[in-house]
Amino acid sequence: MTQTTFKGRPAIPGSAEGSAEVSHIGFNTCATYVDVLISGSDSGVCQDHDNKDLYGHDLAGKIVCIPQTIGSSSAATLFMIIMEKNIQPKAMLFANHIDSLAACGILMGVNWLDKTIVTVDMLGDDFLDAVKTGDTVKVSEDGTIEIQAAS
Amino acid sequence: MSKNQLGGQIGTDPNFTQTTHTGHSKAGAKHTDAQPKMKLTPEEQDIYDGKKGDLLQKAMKTVVAYGELFGSEKLVDLGGAPHMAVSWGSDGVEPLLKIYKQLSDGGLKTYAPFTADPKPMDPVNLPVTDQEQAAVDKIYNRMDELADLNKKLGMRNQNDWSCACYLPEMGNTPKRGDYLSWSESSAINYVNSAIGARTNRNSMGIDMLSNIIGKAPLFGLLTDEGRQAVWLIEVKTTKLPHPEMIGSAIGMKVMEDVSYIVGMDRFKSDIDAGYLKDMGAATASNGAVGLYHMDGVTPEAIDKGRDLLNKGYQTYVIDDAELDNIYKSYPDLWDDPHGTPQRVFLGCPHMTVDQMTYWGKRIVDALEKAGKTKVAIPTFMFGSIYIKDAFEKQNPDVAKKLKGYGVAIPVNCPMMWCSTPVEMNERVATNSNKTRVYSKARFFFDDALTELIVTGKLPAGVA
Repeated sequence: MTQTTFKGRPAIPGSAEGSAEVSHIGFNTCATYVDVLISGSDSGVCQDHDNKDLYGHDLAGKIVCIPQTIGSSSAATLFMIIMEKNIQPKAMLFANHIDSLAACGILMGVNWLDKTIVTVDMLGDDFLDAVKTGDTVKVSEDGTIEIQAAS
Repeated sequence: MSKNQLGGQIGTDPNFTQTTHTGHSKAGAKHTDAQPKMKLTPEEQDIYDGKKGDLLQKAMKTVVAYGELFGSEKLVDLGGAPHMAVSWGSDGVEPLLKIYKQLSDGGLKTYAPFTADPKPMDPVNLPVTDQEQAAVDKIYNRMDELADLNKKLGMRNQNDWSCACYLPEMGNTPKRGDYLSWSESSAINYVNSAIGARTNRNSMGIDMLSNIIGKAPLFGLLTDEGRQAVWLIEVKTTKLPHPEMIGSAIGMKVMEDVSYIVGMDRFKSDIDAGYLKDMGAATASNGAVGLYHMDGVTPEAIDKGRDLLNKGYQTYVIDDAELDNIYKSYPDLWDDPHGTPQRVFLGCPHMTVDQMTYWGKRIVDALEKAGKTKVAIPTFMFGSIYIKDAFEKQNPDVAKKLKGYGVAIPVNCPMMWCSTPVEMNERVATNSNKTRVYSKARFFFDDALTELIVTGKLPAGVA
């Protein structure tokens, strides 16, 4: 087993460990949770069928690794909804600078709903090259990411 | 996920662009870059420390944390008055309504009376079938709750739902240099560019909290450096470009970056508030543009000229062929791509009085020339109540004829109407790129729409 380490900015600091779910394209929050938005679903399964990496994967409690989020500004509200329903990822790791939609949604959830998604950004493109879905990822308070390859 | 297929998704920027959505690119940012902490004034620190109550403390902590994520070192006092994008009450915005209720129960209000985006439906001027209305009522089942909360939180009055809040008739017009914390991409774009006020592109939630504490984090489009252009747009068209086309082209190219547009001062006498509104809305819907400067036209460009261009800027040339390509790139998302249009929607963002007058006279003239006394297809011109009143006062004869010919003036949001699940499969023809981007509606130029209104059919070669 190999272990790789990356360092980013702890945007929403915290510790987390879990299984990685990796998207190499922008994470479309609304498309991912479209059933939560439209039909009030309690599922954290990704519904974005344009996202071949994550479609059909249950993201609840996972370490979601993405370039950044994209799509509708209602994404901020959706972060609040999935946090309230406790179907949010355990952590979200951004290769790029966090975008305002994710920043607003997650901060609102943290400060107003007493829920959290540990968030680290600016990990760089190399991070997404290194991490694979199914790897074990450990996130530390200081933004250090340790990746333990699944095989 | 394809564009416009979210089954009722409501909000802005469906183009899935990878931007910060603040109107200030952070491409290339590294975690090793300096991460400044906010320096608060004693008064702000007291709020932060909870000396003015738990709710204000939470609001302040959220705004400060948000600002620090984008490199802000201080807060600035807001001027003018707020504008909010949230205008639909549904279960989808439940957490937001919950937070609004906490703020309202705590007796908090925005620093000045605010306006809000138009509601999704107008049952009086744009009625639907009873069956559809029942379905719509289920979707927007919390409209009254939102309206009530808005009133308690400081909404100016119950007529103040319009995305073009900055028009004089609406009266929420900031002054140049005012710091704002607005949401609604087209309004942000207009007040930044055409007026020279300063607001970032704020998301739902952070807008209300900033406006409750009356302060916003200083970064991005609030700063002089954030308002510098990194793109030079050279317009070389043979005539005044259609605002929707040039806006669309710029948005697709620069995404969220600030641009400096040259070559438009040739047409200065034809560039009015309506033009800048529509062009800007297209830049903000096909991209995530919060600010552009237009040489010889917009206030900061008039004062500073090309000094607004950063060194190392990129150049994008727009000519007739480029705009033609943009138009041809628009997809036809109607279920029946060659089906006959069912409605004509004019005005998104909400029309100005001049635009309503232009379309009103155009429709009346075309119908009378054709010897018709009724429009051949349901036709709607969207504007705020204030714009509608001003138009009717200034053009009583045209307004009376329009009503008789079957043209209605709804006050709701055409884009949201088109993306509401029970209506989203209607074949809507529009003059708005924004409505096109956010729904399955198709964009057409004025001549084609006029023929459609008179005959019920699109001209040959256009359909």
